[in-house]
Amino acid sequence: MKRVLIVDDAAFMRYTIKAMIEKKEEYEVVGEAENGAIGVAKYKELAPDIVTMDITMPEMDGLQALKEIKKLDPHAKVLMVSAMGQEKLVKDSIISGAKGFIVKPFKEDKIMEALAKI
Amino acid sequence: MSDESNTFNEQMMEMFIFETNQAIEQLEDILLQIEKESVMTEENINEIFRIMHTIKGSSSMMMITNVAKATHSLEDLFFFVREKQLQNVDLDATCDLVFNTIDFINQEISKIENKQQADGDEEPLVEQIRRALARLKNPGNAKEQEDTHELEMKETNENSEREDQGVTDQTVKKHFIEQTPEVLEKQRYIAKVHFEEDCKMENIRAFTVVRNLADHVDELHHNPIELFEDENSTKAIVENGFDLFFTTAEPYDNIFQILDTSLFVEKIQLEQVDSYDALVKQIEKAQQDEEMVQVETEDELIKEDPEEILQEKVNLQNVINVGKKKNIISVNVEKMDLLMDLVGEIVITESMVTKNPDLAGLELDSFNKAARQLRKLNNELQDIVMSIRMIEIGPTFHKMHRIVRDMNKKLNKKAELFISGEETEVDKNIIDALGEPLLHMIRNALDHGIETEEERIAKGKPTEGKIQLEAINTGGDVLIRITDDGKGLDRDQILQKAKRNLLLPKSEEDMTDKEVYNLILLPGFSTKEDVTEFSGRGVGMDVVQKSIDKIGGVIQIDSKMNEGTIINIKIPLTLAIIDGMKISVGQSIFTIPTTTIRESFKPEKKDIIKDTAGNEMILIRGECYPIVRLDQLFDMKGYVSELEKGILVVVESEEVSFCVFADDIIGEQQVVVKPIPAYLRQYNIKNSGIAGCAILGNADISLILDIAGIAEKI
Repeated sequence: MKRVLIVDDAAFMRYTIKAMIEKKEEYEVVGEAENGAIGVAKYKELAPDIVTMDITMPEMDGLQALKEIKKLDPHAKVLMVSAMGQEKLVKDSIISGAKGFIVKPFKEDKIMEALAKI
Repeated sequence: MSDESNTFNEQMMEMFIFETNQAIEQLEDILLQIEKESVMTEENINEIFRIMHTIKGSSSMMMITNVAKATHSLEDLFFFVREKQLQNVDLDATCDLVFNTIDFINQEISKIENKQQADGDEEPLVEQIRRALARLKNPGNAKEQEDTHELEMKETNENSEREDQGVTDQTVKKHFIEQTPEVLEKQRYIAKVHFEEDCKMENIRAFTVVRNLADHVDELHHNPIELFEDENSTKAIVENGFDLFFTTAEPYDNIFQILDTSLFVEKIQLEQVDSYDALVKQIEKAQQDEEMVQVETEDELIKEDPEEILQEKVNLQNVINVGKKKNIISVNVEKMDLLMDLVGEIVITESMVTKNPDLAGLELDSFNKAARQLRKLNNELQDIVMSIRMIEIGPTFHKMHRIVRDMNKKLNKKAELFISGEETEVDKNIIDALGEPLLHMIRNALDHGIETEEERIAKGKPTEGKIQLEAINTGGDVLIRITDDGKGLDRDQILQKAKRNLLLPKSEEDMTDKEVYNLILLPGFSTKEDVTEFSGRGVGMDVVQKSIDKIGGVIQIDSKMNEGTIINIKIPLTLAIIDGMKISVGQSIFTIPTTTIRESFKPEKKDIIKDTAGNEMILIRGECYPIVRLDQLFDMKGYVSELEKGILVVVESEEVSFCVFADDIIGEQQVVVKPIPAYLRQYNIKNSGIAGCAILGNADISLILDIAGIAEKI
């Protein structure tokens, strides 16, 4: 069972991602966070296997949160969730150690594939 | 399975709509603030950008492409404003643009809510935004500038490369150089990587592959050479795949695996070769780029990232905002309605049990104790359910800002909306029903009430009109008051009009001003044709009356020529459960809402007066009150006809107080108000003095008296 933390400021996106991945029994969403700062705190608390990380968020954006998480745990597996038009930020997050990224809108098979691989 | 995915989609849609609506409300607040203060702060820009970005992401997930496109183009615009830190933005035009986008989103969402396709054409709006963006880029020559749009965006990207990233790249580069002498000992490879269809941002995917390989290879070239600066790179990668040329000491299988670790790699061709120099040279030449293939160009290293600085400021601001957040869940209103109904049933059932006729005459000490406890708990339950349903009226009020703004622009008038009592809480159902009538009345106030600037100056009024929207909690009711300082209603014109439409209930001279003004609420009083015929309101006021009726509210209008108009709407705080006093008249049991009762007593004969018309009245502490005999009012038979043998209940409604005469008082009870059944409505029961009905503990039905309605009949 892989434990997943979802970080996204839109409840809609959290819900969608959660519903998609919890269809498979091997995943369990152990936490959700609505901004990067809470995401980092939850990472500390829950030590999830995988994090899905939105990029544009209030308080602390996904890139910053990724860096913080990487500081805590260099082996952290973070999947960035981006929208078109954020190429630069996506690139920065790859450089900062994100394991990969998916681009909104994404279909279920894409996120499942990404999760399986990272 | 398909059922399951259907509900899943519905839930997603519900959530999408909810969140998008919230975001839009927030956006409107921001815009109105911008317009009010005539300044767009950095924080405003960031917020708008973020909201657009979020809606874009969510709507594209829901395949609502037109909304996604519209929000995307607005996002682009605000991106530009933010990056360039523009100071000279045309506030009016920009706010209009955002408002237009909001309207578009609202329109599409309401289509979805009505189970229609969101098929609105976003192109005109997108074009409008595009033009505005072009104008921002070059206020002088918009057309030409539009073509260089892409170029500039690219530049922006370039300028904002991050320092630390540069450092990383540099080490990678150094690494290559140091290793070069050994290159000959190692194997050379050519690889071609194809990514899955529709995985998007292929250039960054390619970049990921390069990153993954970097630690394992000594020399690396790729085609396309330039992944970020060249817009065509993504297209080329999609069409031709991503070519890599590298030298490594690691075995074939390892390299293959490393290539495969990147996400969405569909196909890998990996081939060991003797040399690829010629190929690489060819590619380099073809692309007319003399630079050595590296991940980044060097001159980017020094520059700071304006976006990050900006972001930090935003972060700080948000930290402050987050502190205020409440812990809130959202619940479907239908579930709340069900819960309310259930509580209502429990209240009824409780009295069926504790006041059960089978118990009459029995000594039941512990039963009564338990019953009292049940009563107490039920009360608490009820209070909590009620309080859950109560929401603040603020957001409904704030929506009117937008109406006033739009009307001001359209009618070229100047009026400001003042709001007070936003924190007043009212039942959710009532709030929902209030939106439309409020909108009508605010529109009327602006359209027919507030004069043009010139007229106002001529009248010696302040140039800016004032519309006040208030909510006041008066205990059992909420009073919504809309006041304007416009020209007021014209008594004579209303009377003439009413006469023409045969709506006059009594002769002109007998009517008080208030009665005259309230004529405009009558159905059929005003028609579309005479929107501007008389100076005042009337457009759709009967519609307003109907909506307010539905939630059990009462409208009252007062006005003074050239000074303004006041509309008072009194609505019950909550619809469902009221404290009532049961009284009997003959075989019937009526319920009077306790909030309207002042006192009750057995009258003495000496206090009863009859006027010349035979109307009965009673003197209480020197004041004279009319007496209403319920048996006469409802044309039925009471057991008691002499006043001093029955009981008088003094009730008050607004300013009017009177006495209701009944046989006897039975007792107090909480009742659940049920609307009058549909088939009875045709008999105009609403105007007969009955507000609704309630089921009593013994399953009898009791009619609830409409005290305000009866007061009007006196």
